[in-house]
Amino acid sequence: MERPTRVYPIPARAEAIRRMTWLALVLLVWAGIIFARIVKLQVISHEKYAALAARQQRRLVTLPAPRGSLWDRNGQPLAMSAPVDSVFVNPLRLPDIQIAADILAPILSLDRAETFEKLQNALDNERGFLWIKRKISRTESERLRSLRLEWIEFQTESQRYYPKGSLAAHVLGAVDHEEKGNAGIEMALEKDLHGRAGIARLLTDVQRRGIESETSSEPVAGQDLTLTIDERIQFAAERDLKDAVEAHRCTSGSVVVMDPQTGEVLALASYPAFDPSKPPEPWMDGTERFNHAVSVPFEPGSVFKVITLAAALETTALTPETPINCGGGILRLPGRVIHEAKNGYGSLTMSQVLEKSSNIGAIQIGMKVGRENLLEYVKRFGFGTQSGLPLPAESGGVVRPIKRWGTTSLASIAMGHEVSATTVQLAQAVSVVANGGLLIKPRLVLRRARGGKPVADRSANPPKRALKAETAIAMRRMMERVVLHGTGSKARLDGWTSGGKTGSAQIFDLASKRYTHKYNASFMGFAPVTNPAIAVVVTLNGAAEFGGKLAAPVFRSVAMEALRVLDTPKDLPEQPEGEAKESIEAEENIEDDLAIAGLGAGASVLEDGVEDGPRVPNFRGKSMRAVVEEAAALGLPVLFDGSGTARVQAPVPGSVLRPGERIRVEFKR
Amino acid sequence: MSRHLSFRDFDWPLITVSVLLCSLGILQIFSATHETVWRDAWWKQILWLALGLLVMWVATSVDYHALIHHVPLLYLAAVATLLAVFFFGKLVFGSRRWIPIGSFHFQASEFVKLVIILLVARYLTDVKGEILEGWDLVKLSGLVGVPMILVMLQPDLGTALTYLPILGAGCFLTGLRWRYLAAVGVLLAVLLPVGWYSNALWDYQKGRVESFLNPDSDPRGRGYQAIQSKIAVGAGGMWGKGVTRGTQTQLRFLPVPHTDFIFSAFAEEHGFAGVVFVLILYFVLLMQIIQNAQTAADRAGVYLCMGVAALLLFHILVNVGMVVGRMPVVGIPLPLLSYGGSNLLSTFLMLGLVNNVRLRRFVN
Repeated sequence: MERPTRVYPIPARAEAIRRMTWLALVLLVWAGIIFARIVKLQVISHEKYAALAARQQRRLVTLPAPRGSLWDRNGQPLAMSAPVDSVFVNPLRLPDIQIAADILAPILSLDRAETFEKLQNALDNERGFLWIKRKISRTESERLRSLRLEWIEFQTESQRYYPKGSLAAHVLGAVDHEEKGNAGIEMALEKDLHGRAGIARLLTDVQRRGIESETSSEPVAGQDLTLTIDERIQFAAERDLKDAVEAHRCTSGSVVVMDPQTGEVLALASYPAFDPSKPPEPWMDGTERFNHAVSVPFEPGSVFKVITLAAALETTALTPETPINCGGGILRLPGRVIHEAKNGYGSLTMSQVLEKSSNIGAIQIGMKVGRENLLEYVKRFGFGTQSGLPLPAESGGVVRPIKRWGTTSLASIAMGHEVSATTVQLAQAVSVVANGGLLIKPRLVLRRARGGKPVADRSANPPKRALKAETAIAMRRMMERVVLHGTGSKARLDGWTSGGKTGSAQIFDLASKRYTHKYNASFMGFAPVTNPAIAVVVTLNGAAEFGGKLAAPVFRSVAMEALRVLDTPKDLPEQPEGEAKESIEAEENIEDDLAIAGLGAGASVLEDGVEDGPRVPNFRGKSMRAVVEEAAALGLPVLFDGSGTARVQAPVPGSVLRPGERIRVEFKR
Repeated sequence: MSRHLSFRDFDWPLITVSVLLCSLGILQIFSATHETVWRDAWWKQILWLALGLLVMWVATSVDYHALIHHVPLLYLAAVATLLAVFFFGKLVFGSRRWIPIGSFHFQASEFVKLVIILLVARYLTDVKGEILEGWDLVKLSGLVGVPMILVMLQPDLGTALTYLPILGAGCFLTGLRWRYLAAVGVLLAVLLPVGWYSNALWDYQKGRVESFLNPDSDPRGRGYQAIQSKIAVGAGGMWGKGVTRGTQTQLRFLPVPHTDFIFSAFAEEHGFAGVVFVLILYFVLLMQIIQNAQTAADRAGVYLCMGVAALLLFHILVNVGMVVGRMPVVGIPLPLLSYGGSNLLSTFLMLGLVNNVRLRRFVN
């Protein structure tokens, strides 16, 4: 190696050391600051930073529990959930929102300008999450996925399907976009159907992709419910109800078919119907979601005479053969005169009072029963309390305590006024007669299962004895005679015996405080008479004619279909000619089936039935959508006015909504 | 002179500590990248280490006096290379720093450091007086300033700044008048705001300073790296989470965990204990270099060793300071630990120079 050309002297040592010490000190301070920082981060505040790390790395993910399915009693699916995709994006991570809108809008059949605006808005507000479209179809999902664009993100959501369309809509109800029940069983049994969502801890990387997951609580699936509904009977009931309501220009109607021995509801129909898979729209007033069979009590009228007479058989010496003086068609009560059948029926047996639906006769019998006894039996038949069906907004009807009865109340109640009841309550009551005297709570849920394993149902209600067996049997005979000889002749079946009672109660108009010439035409009955397999109640609201003429034929067709479906052995030979003759003979009887309403001004229970009926919620300040959803959930009819936020409503919040009344809501911007 | 090159006389503690630091680096590179596209980095780094030891031997064998003698040539070559980079360099992430040679991207600015060290040593040994006079200071600053500005224009502010401590250490060692120090201070105080408002700094550089002063102002943007790095260091705790178990690193919250932020990844996985161990290794390394400066045969040897020490110390303080949030985010690697061939080779060349000075400490 070459030798260096120059030799360089060492600088003055002492001077250099002094300077180096200075430099070292400065550097030491610098290093010290950094080291102190390391100590602070790693030793002193370690917990804080560990928590910060955990917070951004861990994500709690809810594992949705599959919502339980609803089946009819034969295992036909009525409602079920299936996973579907929903699309969202992180607007902040989009390469270009123009392009994003161009891609997304046509595939998802959205409006391009609107999509762009949504994206632009989200971007302006620095929102990192935006739903593009929820619950998209399978084809849409496949087309989007085939693009393989990482900024299009999917979330699996659950979609509720109602494979039978609007069938049993009022029983099943519906769900909102979060798949939470907002009507019917879906709402009433939300807790059981919904199950419990599980939670998973997810370790995610910086792009929020899951790396590792650990389930901290397993999802518990919702219960699958097998309903007591028989899809075929339900179909017949809905079809016949619709035909009758439309043919006779009624406003609404309901039908309940029940197994009187078990309380199982085989069909529960309300008209108008709705499609549970479509969300309520602002232009709908909500009446189609109204369940007339359980939520709308009405004055039952003559069908109630069954209760009066049953009470008489048990509490007085009267028998079906005891003659009752129905006089010359005039009954004078304090402040009131009742007319009937031109010249009156004269003397009728108790059985004939029911056949002909004599008001004077029923009042006479009611007088003999007395206030306490009559009230006792009204309650024994289940009136005045909710039947307990798992349906929202059930009404218990109104039965007033004696201290609030007027001078003519006893007479009114004896023929079905000054009380109110729902169609379901009437089905429960007629079942008492049909099953030999037991009050059995109606049921809608036959079986519960979770993941194929049965779940015990704790809500069993033991039947209570309401009538002696012999009373019930006597009542059955009397009700059979109503069908054979009296006002219920149109309820005669081909091949089966049947019993029943007609009813037509004038509708009380709340505005004019008067009874109108519109009726709630009803029929309650059972078949076959000796060992009833079904109890059926038909109510047509706002009918122009009586129950014997309008409701009995619906009973007839629904009952016959139900008996066929249930394969009930026939107990009558079919004789088409004789039947035709008899029903003509019975025609004039039908006309007289009208409980005289308005025993004195203001006597209607509907007028002062303030303690009952759904409470009007406070809609003020809410959006139209929120009001629609809430009203639909409660089954309340709402009239909409204007747009924007709800400002004014009538009736005021907290007051009771009287049957037939609507909540008027005014919206303003 | 070849007698001096006794293998036994090599600075073995220095070499041991360097290889130990490199090994820890390789382990950390493996841990941070084993599931990423960089998964080959760790064994590439092993190759660089081998190559580094080779160039260290080369840098040891050539007499440093010869190198000092050829400084004007080396300096011109360095400036020419930087100009070449400026015109023909490979554009990566918006800056031209690399010259592609085969599959290796040669980062010229890293090797220019060596030339700067030699330049400063040569210039200051030629100074006659006991103390550095004004004109000399300006001339030397100008000589260092030319390559520095070229590197700044790439733009690579971080590497350009590393040339300053070499100059500073040299001047300080020679001796400065206090008034010059004060003048430099005033000059900086004037230039900083002017530079700030006259667009001498790039927006991203301003942003880094701004976010250093207030990292939470933009936690998802410019402050992101600093915040994530702090979290990683803090989450490591006393004993760390273990190799490949650092979640900040493995889940990629930490940016570039195998290069500029390797210390952060290391701190998360090895904790305070590991950090202290590494800092002790660096301390030993620096003390070893300073000891070689003290035993150097002449002024040139002293300036060489002290230039290397100043440069390494600057790298360590700035990088670790950045990782723990005490310095702005400046993209300079942690010597020996960070992944990167150019930096590793230039570091070993410098250590080779130090060894060179040591082997020639006895004047005969």
